[in-house]
Amino acid sequence: MAKPRVAFHDFTSCEGCQLQVLNCEDEILGILAAVDIVNFREAIDEKSEDYDIAFIEGAITRDSDIPRLQEIRQRAKILVALGACACTGGLNVLKNFRGIEASMKTVYGEAAGWYETSAARPIDAVVKDDAKVHGCPIPTEEFLELVKSVLAGRTPQIPDYPVCVECKLRENVCLYHKGQYCMGVVARAGCKAWCPSYGGRCYACRGLISDPNNKAAKEILDEKGLTIQNVLDEFRLFNGVYDVAKE
Amino acid sequence: MLPKVLSKDRFADFVARLLGGGRVFAPVAKGPQFAFAEIAGPDEVSRIRMDYDISILPPKKLFMPQRETLLTFKDKGPEGVRAEVKSQPTAILGVHPYDLHAIATLDAAFSKGARDAYYLAKRGATTLIGLNVKAPANENQFAADMNAIDPPAGGYDLFLTDLGDRYYVEISTGAGEALADDDMFTPAGAGDHKGKRAYDAAKAAHFTRKLPYDTRYLPELLDVSYDSLIWEAAARRCFSCGTCTNVCPTCYCFDVLDKLSMDAHSGTRERIWDSCQLEGFAVVAGGENFREERPSRLRHRMFRKGKYIFERTGRTGCVGCGRCITHCVAKISILEAFQQIADQVGA
Amino acid sequence: MTQALKENPPLVSAYLPRAAKIVEKRKLTDGETWFRFTFPDAQGVKYLAGQFMEVSLFGIGGAPISICSAPGQRDDLEMCVRAVGDVTRAMHALNVGDTLALRGPFGNGFDMDTVAGKDLLFVAGGLGLAPCRSFILDALTRRGQFGRVTILYGGRTPKDLLFRDDLAVWAERKDAEFFVTVDRPDADWKGRTGVITTLFRQVAKSDPARTAAFIIGPPIMFKFAVLEALGRGLGKTNIHCSLERRMKCGLGMCGHCQIRNVYVCQEGPIFSYADVIRLREGI
Repeated sequence: MAKPRVAFHDFTSCEGCQLQVLNCEDEILGILAAVDIVNFREAIDEKSEDYDIAFIEGAITRDSDIPRLQEIRQRAKILVALGACACTGGLNVLKNFRGIEASMKTVYGEAAGWYETSAARPIDAVVKDDAKVHGCPIPTEEFLELVKSVLAGRTPQIPDYPVCVECKLRENVCLYHKGQYCMGVVARAGCKAWCPSYGGRCYACRGLISDPNNKAAKEILDEKGLTIQNVLDEFRLFNGVYDVAKE
Repeated sequence: MLPKVLSKDRFADFVARLLGGGRVFAPVAKGPQFAFAEIAGPDEVSRIRMDYDISILPPKKLFMPQRETLLTFKDKGPEGVRAEVKSQPTAILGVHPYDLHAIATLDAAFSKGARDAYYLAKRGATTLIGLNVKAPANENQFAADMNAIDPPAGGYDLFLTDLGDRYYVEISTGAGEALADDDMFTPAGAGDHKGKRAYDAAKAAHFTRKLPYDTRYLPELLDVSYDSLIWEAAARRCFSCGTCTNVCPTCYCFDVLDKLSMDAHSGTRERIWDSCQLEGFAVVAGGENFREERPSRLRHRMFRKGKYIFERTGRTGCVGCGRCITHCVAKISILEAFQQIADQVGA
Repeated sequence: MTQALKENPPLVSAYLPRAAKIVEKRKLTDGETWFRFTFPDAQGVKYLAGQFMEVSLFGIGGAPISICSAPGQRDDLEMCVRAVGDVTRAMHALNVGDTLALRGPFGNGFDMDTVAGKDLLFVAGGLGLAPCRSFILDALTRRGQFGRVTILYGGRTPKDLLFRDDLAVWAERKDAEFFVTVDRPDADWKGRTGVITTLFRQVAKSDPARTAAFIIGPPIMFKFAVLEALGRGLGKTNIHCSLERRMKCGLGMCGHCQIRNVYVCQEGPIFSYADVIRLREGI
């Protein structure tokens, strides 16, 4: 069987998730043995429009991005959203709440009118994706899990349970026990509870699980003294696309 | 075997003796809480916190690791599949009585039927050194109700009781006897026996009972409360995060997953902790979820703890350690549920 | 160490599978394929009707699949596999001569000797015919040991009907009554149309006390078919079904298939309707 041809494309993002791919130092030779990377702006000069698997980093924030994304969808057999911006729109969605005009003014000042923009959206708001590698940035293990699963012909093992599971397995002291708060109760695991393990708190960068108890989350955040606006801000940071973040 | 005494001056020597026999795990501080961690060498004895209140995860993690390899494989087919039943001599120091009871429950569960080679190999290579505890770690503990404040008969190798300047050492097995066959241990005298009695009397006074009924009635009380609204009420705040089962010393449900190497052919078949509280636990390949609703999952856990495990193993499925209550962000309490089911019947 | 650990030191992993070789493979429908396996270790296999195997394709995973061939001590066994998950999809891509890994048989199964002398009523819906076929083949093989044998089978469309060779044979048999229906006919369908419960009208009256029913199919079909059976006066303990659950380990340990205090992989999947009612969460 011919090696699958892999392309990386990016839209509105920091390209940090592609950097994470390059951070798979121990496995990069294995990846290259298994696939041909034909399009990867961050790592190689060559470019080809003939590929089987397309990884898309970034959110869609301009209408002119749409035809480009649709073309990638047509070319690729498998299209994978790579990272928070592609999966949920990520931080980019914040501007939708702030007001697009106001955001443009803040960033570009007088020159705001020179640039095109629209509401920020995840990839699957425009085209169907076949898989999502979540996170800001993506965990390298999840990227590798996806690549291996595609090669083996199976569904990637991507968790659909709260970050609490992995946090507890690391035997972390719960942030709620420390008098702090955290979005781990509704956030999708798979990061091995990175942030809580190193002194941070969970911002739900990997999106919400499919059946989050949002009502209970709002209640416990309220009990921690957060205002309604604070609570919405917590949800909006990475998950503005979900209804729970809207009101 | 007659009890012995270990002077605290010789505690470091004792740990060194344990280290001579293999790995040693003991409670150490983890921020404001505690965890069982490996004591790498004699220079780490000072990390050991024999005054710990309770560990975050129970010692089950050492017999039933969160992730363990069952098999290795080379390709899709069965050729080249190898079983990886592994163990190494390990001593666990400072296991409280309720956790010893939980280990006895797991022993019974994993010894049933097909007998689990992986668990039993690790368990068989383990020396258990229990540690008496005088008072509950917090208000969530109800170990007295679950008859788990004294160690189970035969459920430890050595059992230590802190008598101030020395440990009173009870010996239950041949392995324990061999371990205590050293001049650091001296025969317990009348004063030591009296000290132990006083300790246990104080313990009994501190561990007050919190359930209004004797737990022999717990399975039946649960049975008649199956349709009660309390499960619905408790599950309203449940995040289905699995913390309660992960910190539970008797929960042992697991999933089996294949992990692939980079060649996407070879790899390992692994067993990982799973939780009946997670949404996908009972989903079959066709997509149907046989315990889709949170209240039914929560009820299932509480029934396992108060009824099912006992009925299957003859040992308690809940030791009253209170970890599931302490660590629940939503403050869902199995103790409260066990109290409420009596009210329901009486009302 | 506790007493339980001392008695009998275990050494063997219960997760090690046996190799099984595909010696026949046939596509039954668009989504379902039939396989016959033999065992290169020449140890054969012994199983009861209603038991299942854990199939492994390493790197993909494992799946519980019911056995569809006649029970007994045999050199081979058969399975009918619907492609619904990773493992079953990958199985469809395998060919005659390939080997895969099996563990089992698991489950209680059903000893047909316990219903010897009785009239048998088989009611199979959709893929439920796969496990049900094991019961039916057993009854027809030793036909003389049972009273009347009636087989009802319902599929969604004519294209979804499984084991069409068997169906033709059953229809021809003089010593068994066989009725089939489809929910949605196509242009070529000349048979009955309607849900499976409509077939009960065809079933001759029999002494309910001397009748055993086996109703195997999706939960919704079971719910309605069981009402028909009860309506004919059958006792709850004389109605048997097979429950589908996520039987992951097959050993009564992992918890995924548990219904209340019952591990379906060991104490099931065959339950009497009386047991299903007692379980509450069964159907």
